[in-house]
Amino acid sequence: MSILTDTAREDRGTASARHTGSGALKALVRAESFGAGAATVIAFVVFSVWAPHFLTAASLASSVQVAAELGIVAVAVTLLMIAGEYDLSVGSILGLAALIAAEALQAHWPEPLALLAAFAAAAVVGLLNGVLVAFTRAPSLIVTLAAMFVWQGVVYVVTQGFAVSVTVSGVSHGLFAGTVGGFAVSTIWWVALTSVLAVVLLRTGLGNHIFATGGNLTATRSLGVPVRRIKVGLFVLTALTAALVGIIQLVRFGSADPTLGQNVELTAIAAAVIGGTRLQGGSGTVLGTAFGCLTLGFIEVGLQLASVPTYFYQGLVGLILLAAVLVNLYLRGGKAER
Amino acid sequence: MTGTDSGLLLEAVDVHKRFGTVTALSGVSFGIGPGEVLALLGDNGAGKSTLIKVLSGVHVPDDGTLVWEGAPITIGSPRAALDLGISVVYQDLALVDTLSIYRNVFLGREDAVRTRRAGVPLLDVRRARQEAIRCLAALGVNVASVDTKVRDLSGGERQAIAIARAVYFESKLLILDEPTSALSLKESRRVLEYVTSASKAGVAVILITHNVHSIHAIADKIVVLTRGTVVGSFARESGGIPDVGEISQLIDEELVPTTTPSGVSDARIGGRNEKTNHSGR
Repeated sequence: MSILTDTAREDRGTASARHTGSGALKALVRAESFGAGAATVIAFVVFSVWAPHFLTAASLASSVQVAAELGIVAVAVTLLMIAGEYDLSVGSILGLAALIAAEALQAHWPEPLALLAAFAAAAVVGLLNGVLVAFTRAPSLIVTLAAMFVWQGVVYVVTQGFAVSVTVSGVSHGLFAGTVGGFAVSTIWWVALTSVLAVVLLRTGLGNHIFATGGNLTATRSLGVPVRRIKVGLFVLTALTAALVGIIQLVRFGSADPTLGQNVELTAIAAAVIGGTRLQGGSGTVLGTAFGCLTLGFIEVGLQLASVPTYFYQGLVGLILLAAVLVNLYLRGGKAER
Repeated sequence: MTGTDSGLLLEAVDVHKRFGTVTALSGVSFGIGPGEVLALLGDNGAGKSTLIKVLSGVHVPDDGTLVWEGAPITIGSPRAALDLGISVVYQDLALVDTLSIYRNVFLGREDAVRTRRAGVPLLDVRRARQEAIRCLAALGVNVASVDTKVRDLSGGERQAIAIARAVYFESKLLILDEPTSALSLKESRRVLEYVTSASKAGVAVILITHNVHSIHAIADKIVVLTRGTVVGSFARESGGIPDVGEISQLIDEELVPTTTPSGVSDARIGGRNEKTNHSGR
């Protein structure tokens, strides 16, 4: 696929400037998504050796499912971060969307309408985030932190802390929680979304605008690019992906638990950062984020299979995040991250 | 109406801009023709950046007229300025560091290298690269590769790319904000050569700077701004341009408000309002 060669070429930008004519290996090492790709391979190899039954189709499928449910949100979060903004409310939006769908189904709404209501509510919440960030000077970190508390609060008030159970039709089940060739159908959602957004980023004017908005807001605005509209749009997109994962998990578990989506906002940012997305915005790749999600998927499933208490998972994610940031800084050199 | 038969590209007539109680521009007038280089001089707070913003559609003047190619206009947005053919290169802010050169060249003008695949509008990356190479070559700018990210370029190279981009997209008026302030002497000289090439290609160039020395040799017109007021306006062809020292003195004049050096006052064309403004700048 030509997008992959494009990614490689874009990735090499920095490298080619300073090492014209250097070998393909060097270019690969300097690619933005190299660190995440390497982490994925290392995680895979380590758990293949360490964890019994890790090297089976079933556990591979489980890892990929974890990666997919994270990756659907993380890819949108990546675009948002490239445009220079954060969204800490995706976990709450995920839970809120699942709850709205569940309540609507319990109230005997037609199934498509119930799901549509969840997406519509998420879009409105995303729009609110986006408008607040784009039209006030409030930093997105604070706006979406507030949104995180507010919507999580709403979920707890409505549910009183209890899960809301639902049953869905075969069609919805197949669409959101079915399996295709042994893999969860969410994998297809993930791959499709990642591919489309890769094309958008690298091969459209909009993609150029997203990079530029995060790279240099003033210059981009002065070139007539509608930076506010881009930010608002990305907040809505991010909220919609959170709703999609909310519905996937609602259908999969058969209930909307009030804790649904907790920590997704931070894990998604971790995946993007492991994938090489620049914290200040302006650069990043969806391929890197996909590797980041896969790495986290391997670790979560691998640790379970190695019978390590799940509490270790978070600590390990933290260490990997730190390592990824340091490795990326080192690989890209000091000048790149002034 | 002023300017209809003047042959000027842009004329500012008695432009005022206030922000609350602060008067940023108070009766500014000047004119620039195609292919001319106009230097806008002034110290910090003289109103230079407000004037750039008025010319580039960020601010609309409270009073006064902008005349573009003989007709009065309102520039309501940066996009409108761009569509007229006005390009602004802000000091150190013109390009996106994290993007490659060719992506910077086409930023905001991706339409120029758009292609359709199965009905989907996509960026023709190959053509964008080729056109970027051509764009730089036209101005004599050399870079290793158009895939190089801008953060790996020198200050002079950045200015060069911003200027080349404006010329390539057939800007009629190029506004450069402190183009040489962060550059070495050698790089400054090269950037000013690019300015000269752009003006020879028919582009009108406004250089905004507080450094008289850098622009004295290449400017066709010099306008000196102090506290939002034009205190000196000179043209090489009519009346001539005073020497560097005299102009510097004019820029420093605001340090001693209300005094008017008589030696330069008769050379003024557009200095209409000598009253300095004490409203807080």
